[in-house]
Amino acid sequence: MTRGWLGALGALLGVAVLFAIPRLTGNEYLLALGISFATFSVLSGGLNLVYGYTGLLSFAQVGFFGIGGYTAALLVTERAWSLWAGAVAGGVLAALVGLVIGYSSLRLSRHSFAIVSLSFALLCMIVARDWVSLTRGAMGIPGLPVPGLDLPGWRWRLSRPADFYYLLLGFAVMAQALFYVVVSSRLGRAMRAIKLNEPLAQSHGIDPLRYKLLAIALSAWLAGIAGGFFVFYLTIVDPSIFDFYYTETMLIMVIIGGPGSFWGVLGSSAVLAALPDLLRFTTDLRMVLYGAVLIAAMLIFPGGVGGWLDRRRLRRWRRPSLTTP
Amino acid sequence: MDPGIFLQLLLNGIVIGVIYALVAMGLSLIFGVLELVNFAHGEFYMLAAMLAYFLTMRLSLGYAATVAVVTILAVCLGYVFYEALLVHIHGGGFERSILLTLGLSMVLQNGAVFLFTTTPRMIETPLSYANIVAGSVRVSVTRVLALALGLVAFAALYLILYRTRIGRAMRGVAQNREAALMVGIDPRAVSRLAVAIGIGLSGLAGAALAPVYAVHPLMGFSFVFKAFAIIILGGLGNIAGAAIMAVALGIVESVVGGFLPLVMVDALVFSSMIGMLLLRPEGLFGRGVRV
Repeated sequence: MTRGWLGALGALLGVAVLFAIPRLTGNEYLLALGISFATFSVLSGGLNLVYGYTGLLSFAQVGFFGIGGYTAALLVTERAWSLWAGAVAGGVLAALVGLVIGYSSLRLSRHSFAIVSLSFALLCMIVARDWVSLTRGAMGIPGLPVPGLDLPGWRWRLSRPADFYYLLLGFAVMAQALFYVVVSSRLGRAMRAIKLNEPLAQSHGIDPLRYKLLAIALSAWLAGIAGGFFVFYLTIVDPSIFDFYYTETMLIMVIIGGPGSFWGVLGSSAVLAALPDLLRFTTDLRMVLYGAVLIAAMLIFPGGVGGWLDRRRLRRWRRPSLTTP
Repeated sequence: MDPGIFLQLLLNGIVIGVIYALVAMGLSLIFGVLELVNFAHGEFYMLAAMLAYFLTMRLSLGYAATVAVVTILAVCLGYVFYEALLVHIHGGGFERSILLTLGLSMVLQNGAVFLFTTTPRMIETPLSYANIVAGSVRVSVTRVLALALGLVAFAALYLILYRTRIGRAMRGVAQNREAALMVGIDPRAVSRLAVAIGIGLSGLAGAALAPVYAVHPLMGFSFVFKAFAIIILGGLGNIAGAAIMAVALGIVESVVGGFLPLVMVDALVFSSMIGMLLLRPEGLFGRGVRV
């Protein structure tokens, strides 16, 4: 019990420190890294829920992210919606698309889900580039307006990077809290059971398809909302929002952090969000490096850091104790 | 529509469809025997096309020599690919194999972009300007040669699978791995050969198509997207189904692409894949669903 309270206290402290950063330093580069971390943590957390916990390898996250971005941008510019309504609508649309893809491809197998999700992500990019009358093609939708929040007695205009830092960090904290509640509850246990042994889970009265669809829809919904916020931070949405770079980065985050390990993936998201900028590679070489890391991880290190820590803890528990009688 | 133009589009569609079939059959063969989806398949096709470009333009090798060298190298690369990487994850789960081959595809694709940039390159030899004219139909010699190579490869694959002992062993492993083990088939030798043939077909496709279209490092990426749709539509692991769907897709793409924007074709391919999974998850020419 005390361990749990200490953990909660530590998490609260971490969040407080993250929220205090813009007050301590006006360094915009640091804020940009923080925004990148917050956004990627939602994407990789969702991928971890779908792949790490439920065992479905998905390449569709980037599609949900971009659908959210495009939906929010189009609703705000064409229909004069507020960002908040637009982002939520984008999340809902992403979740619905996720349900359609998941329901149709999971009828066959996990294999076909992986293939269909990849095709879906590629199709999103093609549609964004070539359906010019809706998405304005390769030029995208530039100059997105500055969003604002009007509450009685308080008006917040998100004009500085620090405002978006607060927004995306706040959203990421809520999303991570939601992920944490899901994975540590009965739902998360059912998902893990499905990943480990689907027929056995089924024989215990778990309907695998419902839990799989729930994981896909939840991660798609959050990724869609994150996409809506993120494009307003960039002030432009164009087909590069569907870039395979996002998919590869979040996959690496989940693989290195350890699929099925909440804190592992969160930690690796923080490290890897900062790393590319520290390494200062060209994008092509960075992708070569990521690919090599992926190959090496699959050959020698499939559990990631989280898996390694788990194994170490199990070994410690199982070690015969010599000191106590 | 003018029948001449239609015939022209139809012929172009058959050529591109046969090349799609080479890539998709290799993918399907590897899936059938090893039960893994090779995400790096398109990159081998790209490497073969790039190699064909350098052999023709820099070393000025002839057409036949280029195709032969590229195909043989691709078969060898398939052996190395299996022995160096795939053998270590065998039985280690389907997701691991996808992530491994995806990592390889990232390395190959971005490495090629880094070395050669994304500039498209054209192979220009006297051969690429030669045409065969029959009535109102005009076909370039390189397309006819690509078609012929594809058909020869079809026949060779058929003979290997249905007329040789090792081919029978391959089909045996694809149908029932445990039973194949029980009658003394070595799965490692069979898998190795299946991967080598699959990559070899991809290499042949790259070498045959290099003189027809421009060559660039990102060409494999969009190609494998179509190959995935083809093997789902034709039934996962069903090689003949993949071949038929590939030719059909090539024809549809060419004829529809003649008067509709290409994005419609890609959307059509994707939605027919989703529709197929909803209506007939085992594919048009289904063969047992594997779980």
